[in-house]
Amino acid sequence: MSTTKKVPQYCYQCVAGPDFLTVKVEDGVATEIEPNFALADVHPGAGKSCVKAYGLVQKTYNPNRLLTPMKRTNPKKGRDEDPGFVPISWDEALGMVEGKLKEIQAKGLYDELGYARVAASFGGGGTPTYYMGTFPAFLGAWGAVDFSFGSGQGVKCTHSEHLYGELWHRAFTVSADTPTTNYILSFGGNPEASAGVIGISRHADARARGAKRVQIEPHLSVTGACSAEWVPIRPKTDPAFMYGLIHVMLHEMPRERLDLEFLTDHTGSPYLVAPNGYFLRDPVTHKPLMWDNTRGAAVTFDTPDIKPALEGSFTVSGVEVGADGEEWQHEAIEVQTAFSHLVKQMAQYTPEWAEEICQVPDGCIRRIADEFVSHAQVGDTIEIDGEVLPLRPVAVILGKTVNNGWGGYECCWGRTLLACLVGSLEVPGGTLGTTVRLNRPATTRQASVIGGPDGFMQYPMNATDKEGWQETPKARNAHDTLVPLSASSPWSQALGPTHLAWMFRKESPENWPEVSAPDLWFVYRTNPAISFWDTKAVTERIAEFPFIVSFCYIRDETNHMADVLLPECTDFESTQLIRVGGTKFIESYWDHEGVALRQPAIKPLGETRDFTDIATELAERAGILDKYNNAINRGAGGVPLRGGNYDFSLDIEQSHGAEEIWDAMCRAASAELTDGAETDGLDWYKEHGIRTRPISRLIWYLFPELRKKGLRFEMPYQEQLYRVGKQLGNRLHEKGIEWWNEQLKEYEPLPPWKDFPGIWEQATVNSGGALADYPFWLLTSRSMQLAWGSNSSIQMIDEVAKNMRGHRAVVMNAGRAAEMGIEDGDLVEINSTLRGTKGRVVLKQGIRPDTILIQGQFDHWVTPYSKDNPAPSMNTVVPMSLALTDATGSAADIVRVAVKRLEGPA
Amino acid sequence: MTRYVMVADLRRCVGCQTCTAACKHANATPPGVQWRQVLDMETGTYPQVQRTFVPVGCMHCADPPCEHVCPSTATKIRPDGIVEIDYDLCIGCGYCAVACPYQARHIVHKRDLAYDKQAMAHEDARFDEGRMSVAMKCNFCQGRIDTAKETGQTPGVDPEVTPACVNSCIADALHFGDRDDPNSNVSALLAENQTFRMHEELGTDPGFYYIWDKNE
Amino acid sequence: MSRIEPWHQVNWDWRAAGNFIGGGSGTGLVILAALAAGQGTTYWPLGFLGVILVGIGLFCVWLEIGRPWRALHVFYHPQTSWMTREAFVSALLLPVTMVAALASSPFLFEPAVAKGAIWLAALLAALYLYCQARILHCSKGIPAWRHPSLMPVIILTGLTEGAGFLLMGTALVGGHFVWPLLLLLILLLGRWMAWRRYLANLAETGAPSKALAVLNGATPMINILGHYAASILIVLALLTGAFGPLFAALAGLAAIAGGWQMKFVVVARAAFNQGFALPLTPVRGTGKPGPADKPGWSKSGP
Repeated sequence: MSTTKKVPQYCYQCVAGPDFLTVKVEDGVATEIEPNFALADVHPGAGKSCVKAYGLVQKTYNPNRLLTPMKRTNPKKGRDEDPGFVPISWDEALGMVEGKLKEIQAKGLYDELGYARVAASFGGGGTPTYYMGTFPAFLGAWGAVDFSFGSGQGVKCTHSEHLYGELWHRAFTVSADTPTTNYILSFGGNPEASAGVIGISRHADARARGAKRVQIEPHLSVTGACSAEWVPIRPKTDPAFMYGLIHVMLHEMPRERLDLEFLTDHTGSPYLVAPNGYFLRDPVTHKPLMWDNTRGAAVTFDTPDIKPALEGSFTVSGVEVGADGEEWQHEAIEVQTAFSHLVKQMAQYTPEWAEEICQVPDGCIRRIADEFVSHAQVGDTIEIDGEVLPLRPVAVILGKTVNNGWGGYECCWGRTLLACLVGSLEVPGGTLGTTVRLNRPATTRQASVIGGPDGFMQYPMNATDKEGWQETPKARNAHDTLVPLSASSPWSQALGPTHLAWMFRKESPENWPEVSAPDLWFVYRTNPAISFWDTKAVTERIAEFPFIVSFCYIRDETNHMADVLLPECTDFESTQLIRVGGTKFIESYWDHEGVALRQPAIKPLGETRDFTDIATELAERAGILDKYNNAINRGAGGVPLRGGNYDFSLDIEQSHGAEEIWDAMCRAASAELTDGAETDGLDWYKEHGIRTRPISRLIWYLFPELRKKGLRFEMPYQEQLYRVGKQLGNRLHEKGIEWWNEQLKEYEPLPPWKDFPGIWEQATVNSGGALADYPFWLLTSRSMQLAWGSNSSIQMIDEVAKNMRGHRAVVMNAGRAAEMGIEDGDLVEINSTLRGTKGRVVLKQGIRPDTILIQGQFDHWVTPYSKDNPAPSMNTVVPMSLALTDATGSAADIVRVAVKRLEGPA
Repeated sequence: MTRYVMVADLRRCVGCQTCTAACKHANATPPGVQWRQVLDMETGTYPQVQRTFVPVGCMHCADPPCEHVCPSTATKIRPDGIVEIDYDLCIGCGYCAVACPYQARHIVHKRDLAYDKQAMAHEDARFDEGRMSVAMKCNFCQGRIDTAKETGQTPGVDPEVTPACVNSCIADALHFGDRDDPNSNVSALLAENQTFRMHEELGTDPGFYYIWDKNE
Repeated sequence: MSRIEPWHQVNWDWRAAGNFIGGGSGTGLVILAALAAGQGTTYWPLGFLGVILVGIGLFCVWLEIGRPWRALHVFYHPQTSWMTREAFVSALLLPVTMVAALASSPFLFEPAVAKGAIWLAALLAALYLYCQARILHCSKGIPAWRHPSLMPVIILTGLTEGAGFLLMGTALVGGHFVWPLLLLLILLLGRWMAWRRYLANLAETGAPSKALAVLNGATPMINILGHYAASILIVLALLTGAFGPLFAALAGLAAIAGGWQMKFVVVARAAFNQGFALPLTPVRGTGKPGPADKPGWSKSGP
């Protein structure tokens, strides 16, 4: 008798997840993905998942799947070496890993250079966590793990936004309050490709109700397409455009059009700045001073009932505290407010000046500034759950290449300043953060709002003072040593300048310790051999790693170098409970919070194993079962098993099966969400898929929390960063390190415009290219279909992705191509000074004549299907260099290239 | 009377192809065959350029050229407006395919696999010999519409009886319903917005409307 | 990959062209042979040839259809389908023409039967030829086919090819060739004009640019062979006594070749589909809609 069932699942292949679906199983075969409409009222995306989830059926049954563990038989590693993988038993495979783990335990968890001997890399912005079961508990139990070999972090993420966003408004990423906003300035932001089901539906609703989005970017992306206006800006000149806007707002508009109350009472604008660039402080308390109009005197910022002066010059005495405790006593000196310094600084950035740089007419900049301020509705309020908040329905969002690498600081600062000028930061309708990953505690953004000594939110900078500075990096990417802003949360290693780990592995710069290869490297759902810059170099580094364990479902370019392949059950074959709701990564704002289950819809194929069972057996073999179980009990699997009025914790001496572990997790989650009233286990979740409870929408906004705690946004003047930068410079120079000097220049209190495109132009010249020979800017853009999930190897996803013009192609301006004798479909070679990549041309009008776009970034040479469907690759041609790395340790997907026609259409 | 139509809100569509994929799942179409797809159309000249994402497929015309030319009566118009194909009658002559001005019809003569080396379990489970060498196209997931008659549910409102593409649409751009019912979801959309239909000048009376703006 | 601009349809190839080539020539011959028979030209070889030509055309169709063993389903839709109607006519045309040929042949000489059958066959052939013209006209998805100006082309080239076969046949079996030559000349003039008119009207109403390019690109060769060379050969046939039948046959051959090329180009090379178009682009949030666009079209006609 035939049977059909629909099994609820989640999809968390990308950071915009989780989304929900059901998988239809007919006679034991998964056949069809459908939305889970039962969750329509809970999931802001109406229980739907995006196109990527529909690839999971083919992923499950992909004939190229690895269905048994395998081991390498060729000890030589490299792109051109056949690994000679042969099938082995699980016992043998895990025995190999056990042997290596025990060897490490015997030698010590850290190597001679102080680096963890075990390293692990997971891609996808942390999303592999939602598929690796209790493996985090294994890693936690093991203790010393280096996560700093990245797969693209710093280049492929919105890196500057992560760091500066968390500093200024607890914004790991930044989003518009799309359901309420009426005007969005998007500098290369691409929510229509990257904001997932929730983001896309929110923006579609906004468009339909008449909200205007202006898209400022060199090529017309899908988001540009769905915007009211496209402004084709010269690549990497976005700060100039923003500064032009700020100039108009500060110098051409009546001051009262700005949100003076917000600036005065909720930002550091009134703080007085002393001659050396630091705040003027009270000599006794060292608290920053403001000019109080009521008293006619300077008082500390936290003096009650003051009316601070937003701008002006005042004669004041006080102390100025610089780097490394340096102090200056000032008696009756003339000082100005931070805001006045800002006004003075921005005077030079007229729209006419900006036009010269970003090639956008000055009239356009003035009009957009006026539209932005007009839409801000300064003075309006809205009530949410009983709390009256400012309503400022204007927002600014940034794209990846805009806020990565040089210029990222200036863009993030400009964006946050634009919001502050009209009071739209962290209020309804405005520019919001999504979640926290660097600040702690990470339970909610609100919980991480902790007051600092200067009246701003405390930020967990890595120390730069003499005593606290991490002179010898703990992680191979040196984030704790070089990037104070990267903090030291569990995310910091994987977030930091992860390319430095690869670069320094090859050759340490002057006066820098050697970077060792890890004794054992775990890789899962990541493929740095193709996903980073200069993938050829990364591949060579991977080949040097002595022992690589890859949890994988197909062969790929990274596990080509692996010693052991462990085929784990994929999405529809294994069990995991994850937290959902609240506010998450990307435009994901919920009115509920809770947990959701992923469960086996079909029997695992071949000998594939549930990741949780693999983790448990590894823990047992490594002799750390008790620590592993303890980690699970504490919540390393997602939910703590013990609470105030419940205890489902596991016996730490026993080995537990996946079902048992997740049943305990489900019961604990039920109890947690119902204050102990319910204790439903795995079976309940298998049927229902998800359990949630409603939450207040107030958690979307940070402003109420700051207001409640009497804290200000640390804008516009970056005194703290200025000091940190100076101190970092002192530390590095004391060690004789001069190669980070350009990065140190980024620590400006009011960042001036620099010739950002010129940095890449100079890099071209420095690498031996004449600029005239490399006339194009090569950029990339997110493909919603192919991004994440190794989807280019899924035939169906590849097929539907091709409906979008430009996939697997080189996009160039039709007019420019005609001048060069290039026609649609021609094969061209794109060359940087590093190397070249080939692809077919798609001609478009929606791209600047000086810009080339390669949407796909990946140059597969092992991954089945993908390698037989070649595509031009951005990553192949982008160099990895210190000169292109900014102070946050990030760089951008951009490079100067030449275009050469090879042959006519196929 | 009933006339089921599709309404695509071009203001909302982002070209994500989720509907394309959902259709491929619901109808088990072979590689390369897309009953529903979303076009990526560019108009204008740099720098005045528009890019529009346009869902297309069978338009379920009231005056369908495919039905007129079909020599076998395999193609029929149902009373509810759905243009259907009887795979057992179709001779695969392809006349309907050249008669359709929407490029909506597909004939596949040899079984294609997503991965050449072997058929996947779900491909085998859903392979239908009856659809080889005959015309096929979007049928508005007619099986679901027929279910509605038994269950009393409303196509376009209740997901169980709504075409897969509409159910899957993450931008809420695709809508389905009875145009002849003045109280239906699609009637409301058509009343509130300005629409056009593709190649309307050809006189096919297509059952697929595109919203381009709200009413003035 | 989705395509926007008209692309060449993939459902009808050389086999479909073969049906229009065989069917047009065969029916043209059956009609012209009837006229010639009235003038005393031997009918039966021409009649048989007509049957063979039409039969080859139908065989091509049978090769083309996906489910050949369901071929009889083709008869199910006479109400509106010109393909069904063509099938019905063919079901009569082939036996009637066979009867006419047999009855006028030495094998089964029945002059009375033959006379009626010959004219009935000619009538059915005309109907069949008309069906073929309508088949293309009703292919609404192919702008180069659906244009009404193509119908006279299909009919006239069928007759022209028929005249060509008549002249070739006459050269072999004997008979009057002067009036067929003159008739061919008139038909050539008519076909030339119809083709010109078709191209001009298609350009006037707008068509896929690639279709126009194919048609215009093929026209010089169609004209040189099918019209100019054929006409010169007709003149030569009329002027040269002894070689008259040879030149007449060559003129017929040239006329046939031009007609076949014409139909092959139309059916198998210029069959670009409608593509997709936008009468305007949507308003995203605010502003005005963008302009209409019909990519790949010579002009935005229907």
